[in-house]
Amino acid sequence: MNRTYLAGDLRALGAAGLMSWRQIRRYPALLFGTVFWPVLLPAVWVLMGQAYSGGGDPDALNAFATRAGTTGVTLFVFVGFLMYMWLSALLWGPGTALRQEQIRGSLEAVFLSPVSRLVPLFGPTLTNLLFIVADLIVMGIAVWLLFGVVLPLQGVLLAVAITIVGVPAMYAMGALFGAGVLRFGEIGPAVQFTRGGLSMLCGITFPIAMLPDWAQTSAAAMPPTHIVDAMRNALLKSAGPGDLVPAAASLIGLAFVFGGLAVVVFRWLEASARRSGMLGRY
Amino acid sequence: MTAAPAVEVAGLTKVFEKGRRTIWQRLRREPDKREKFVAVNAIDLRVERGEIFGVLGPNGAGKTTTLRMLATLLEPTSGDVRVLGLDVKTHPREIRANLGAMLSGERSLYWKLTARENLEYFAALYHVPPKETKPRIDAALVAVKLADRADDYVERYSTGMRQRLALARALLPDPPLVILDEPTVGLDPQAARDLRDRVRELKRQGRTVLLTTHYMEEADQLCDRIAIIDHGEIVALDTPAALKRRIRAEEVVTLEIGMAGEDAPMLARLANTAVIARSERHNGTLAVTAHCASARDFVPAAFDAARSEGATIQHVEVVPVSLEDVFISLTGRALRE
Repeated sequence: MNRTYLAGDLRALGAAGLMSWRQIRRYPALLFGTVFWPVLLPAVWVLMGQAYSGGGDPDALNAFATRAGTTGVTLFVFVGFLMYMWLSALLWGPGTALRQEQIRGSLEAVFLSPVSRLVPLFGPTLTNLLFIVADLIVMGIAVWLLFGVVLPLQGVLLAVAITIVGVPAMYAMGALFGAGVLRFGEIGPAVQFTRGGLSMLCGITFPIAMLPDWAQTSAAAMPPTHIVDAMRNALLKSAGPGDLVPAAASLIGLAFVFGGLAVVVFRWLEASARRSGMLGRY
Repeated sequence: MTAAPAVEVAGLTKVFEKGRRTIWQRLRREPDKREKFVAVNAIDLRVERGEIFGVLGPNGAGKTTTLRMLATLLEPTSGDVRVLGLDVKTHPREIRANLGAMLSGERSLYWKLTARENLEYFAALYHVPPKETKPRIDAALVAVKLADRADDYVERYSTGMRQRLALARALLPDPPLVILDEPTVGLDPQAARDLRDRVRELKRQGRTVLLTTHYMEEADQLCDRIAIIDHGEIVALDTPAALKRRIRAEEVVTLEIGMAGEDAPMLARLANTAVIARSERHNGTLAVTAHCASARDFVPAAFDAARSEGATIQHVEVVPVSLEDVFISLTGRALRE
């Protein structure tokens, strides 16, 4: 790829994000979900956890701490759900962006341009990053107002940092589903299955120490496990930057693994779609 | 050195497989038993720079499939395709950068954005330099007569306006070659005329236009040369005038003859003074399409023939030879069948 194409592709990536934002802006009611879901979903689980533990019984909390390394159940669950929302946005994001283009009929028009295929795959999902930040802010306010938990500033900054480090690996996973859209059209069930599986493996609402050994080993190969674990360490266990280096290194390594896989699968399925004519059908 | 032709195609073939081959069948390496459908069958084509070239044929003839292969959206099964001198297999990105295409018309736009927002997005996708983006968008909007509605949402446009906006988008990269798939389909006569005027303007600007249509009048009026395609094969390729000369007639006479007896004797009599292009029997009426040098000679002869066979001519229609008649003479059926 020469430098001219790269500069053009980067501008196109920004333009795709702007195009997506302009469409979202026409439906302000969609933004309501940004406030509603990051509060309601985890709050239900926190209240359930409090009820099951006898309203904060020390023995129950200690038993939880033995498995999770912390007694901060509220933040533990909220961080887990933040990850869940991020997982949903990025697993669905690229695939949904292509699927919407396919159904609307604009996918061929986009693929007729000289722009890199990564632009229509990732560009429209850039708005998801805004929603992730918004979710983090809403979550911080919610745990403070509803449960009296104040997030430590350093922990928040480190959580944002690990989020940024985790973006390539998460997007690479999303790209795998995006590639599936090109060839197979509807891939909703596959995303549902994967999201459900990852929610279970990565310990969204519970410590992964609860899982059998083989499942814990599998969890270590999944980027969300490292992200959610590092965020909990930063926010709940006062971990410093040095403590998060292993998680960051794992995420960068996994980004290469999933990224390489995504490139191979995307090229293969795009070629298949160009042979079968699937680009123009849905 | 002369510039390469805008499009050069040799032995282009596209075969689709019907149905899916399951993963189980692939793993077991079972032979591929799927039914094959030949959409485009070994066509050769050369479009010169600066001409308006039409691909005329009925629905399902292979026009759109051909265009999609030229536009790098569909991979040919076999054959060589060069667009603007570049091979589609090895230089797809360079071809796309120099190609303006309108393939799926109004559906290819973002209806929840304004026309200007649509063009801003596509200008970025076509790598139009930021400094040139606004002037190019303004010029494209003026060219398709949408400048005064540029900031309206596309969902509020008529079908004709959306088609024109899709054409404006195709012009954004300032392409030497523009390909248009059924550009006037679904438009009212005024909107279609308007769009055809825009296409003529493209030719005046020195661009090459390759379009598909199943409207013979459109092909006749617009195109410098036409390829008539049927069942994935080019059955004729020439200028509209030369194609019409092929059937060696000046006029086409359609007769409806009320008769009870056999068709053959009547048709044999008519064939003495004209070429019978088509005949069809509906109960007691025989519909005949005849190509002749002069209707003044043929029609009286047809009345004489009918009288001799005890038949009655119920309706006579005389029209000049059209591309539809060329198509009928080549394929034995009408374009819209």
